[in-house]
Amino acid sequence: MLLICGTAPRKDLPLTEGEAILQGDTLRIGGAEIPCTQGTAALVSAAGATLAFLRQPAPRTLLVGDDGSGKGSRLLYEHLIGNLPRIAPQVVVLHYMLPVMGLMRKVSESASKAKKRPFMIADAAAMYAAKAAGIAREFDLFTPDLSELAFLADPQATHPAYVSRHLFESDSSRIPELVAAAYAHGSAARTLVVKGSTDHIAQDGRIVERLAEPNIPALEAIGGTGDTISGMVGALVSAGFDAVTAARIAVRANRTAGLYAGATPATRIWQVIETLPRVFADHLDKWARQAVDRKIERSAP
Amino acid sequence: MFFKSEKNNGFEGGGLVLFESVEGALSGERALKAEGIENRLVAPPPELRRGCDLALEINLVEKPAVERMLGSRQVHFIDILPTRGGTELLQVVQVTDFGEAVMVKAGNMKLTFDKVSGVVLNISGGGCPDIPYLHAEMLAKPLDRAPRPREMGHTLCSLMLDRAYVQSLEIWKNGGR
Repeated sequence: MLLICGTAPRKDLPLTEGEAILQGDTLRIGGAEIPCTQGTAALVSAAGATLAFLRQPAPRTLLVGDDGSGKGSRLLYEHLIGNLPRIAPQVVVLHYMLPVMGLMRKVSESASKAKKRPFMIADAAAMYAAKAAGIAREFDLFTPDLSELAFLADPQATHPAYVSRHLFESDSSRIPELVAAAYAHGSAARTLVVKGSTDHIAQDGRIVERLAEPNIPALEAIGGTGDTISGMVGALVSAGFDAVTAARIAVRANRTAGLYAGATPATRIWQVIETLPRVFADHLDKWARQAVDRKIERSAP
Repeated sequence: MFFKSEKNNGFEGGGLVLFESVEGALSGERALKAEGIENRLVAPPPELRRGCDLALEINLVEKPAVERMLGSRQVHFIDILPTRGGTELLQVVQVTDFGEAVMVKAGNMKLTFDKVSGVVLNISGGGCPDIPYLHAEMLAKPLDRAPRPREMGHTLCSLMLDRAYVQSLEIWKNGGR
């Protein structure tokens, strides 16, 4: 089971648990309606579309309203600390929440108390909290963009707003160097999916894949196009794909969805997400076969 | 290393509010606690010490909310600094021209607007919970009628978005250049 945890841009939403369904530009969960914009709503929607295509159970979602004050985030942390072993998810995605180092450490400790520790994915401020708390290595997968990779590579920074200027100004040609620094400082999860004009997938300190096609520059401007990658990766891992294969399929699907949506800087994320069933119908079998071929190549003597 | 003035309850904030006087620090503690903003009194390390020997440790991410709160209660403070690493917020702003739209990137935040109408087309990046909220509030509004992130946001991500917003407004008023 995939468990997705995050906040929604509504002050009045209590901690809400249930299956989420995307209808047009609205995500419905437990009787609540949440606009499918940038953030956890986009992540949940992309994960749901992926699992629906794979005929897998919908993701279990824990959402709480938070306007940034952190009140909702703290409820979410406390719920996870008290209940993760009982919920026993196979995969957890932690997403938009106020980064609180001490609470994130307790969430990770709670995950370890489950019969089998879940596959732990962190994106957005959950990733900031994990890195700042010094527990990045306890996570299985992070999905930073270039500025967030610079943050992971800066051993002192506790938020991307305080990254060293020389690291922040790095262009994509320095991604291998930044990836190496993030792993060397213990600030990377086992697998990194670095989102950018060229997506990089790294595992155990080594870049194993670069993907740049189709090239849709407008995707960078559209709020939520990183969230959709994290949602699809979580869904694919929970469906049985290994982390690198899941990451490879997710970034290709994201780029192709941008192509199918005719993405411009004005496109909304739900318009990208609604193309995913068509993207998977056209390409998923082929991408999955290529992944198997690559694995065979890698394991050949 | 901090010298804690009260028992460590596990709170790790990463940010320090510096005050001129002990009275100021105590007023700050009361003001923030009244608003539910987690903090604790600490003795600042020598390299960061300015003003008095008492400071407040806060969650650095909440710097904009703390500044606004202390300001509204007339509690004077000297500065809010990270407890480790560089003390300067990122000042770098990068601009991408999409033809009819411009994307302005400040730190981990990106704001994209229509060159002619100034309408906010998209906000991307960031990770703190006020960003989806600001996204919903600002989207489809002209820059000069959209709420300013600094006034509504609580976190460092909103501060970066504010930088992108200010630069966007300037570019739009200069005809998209």
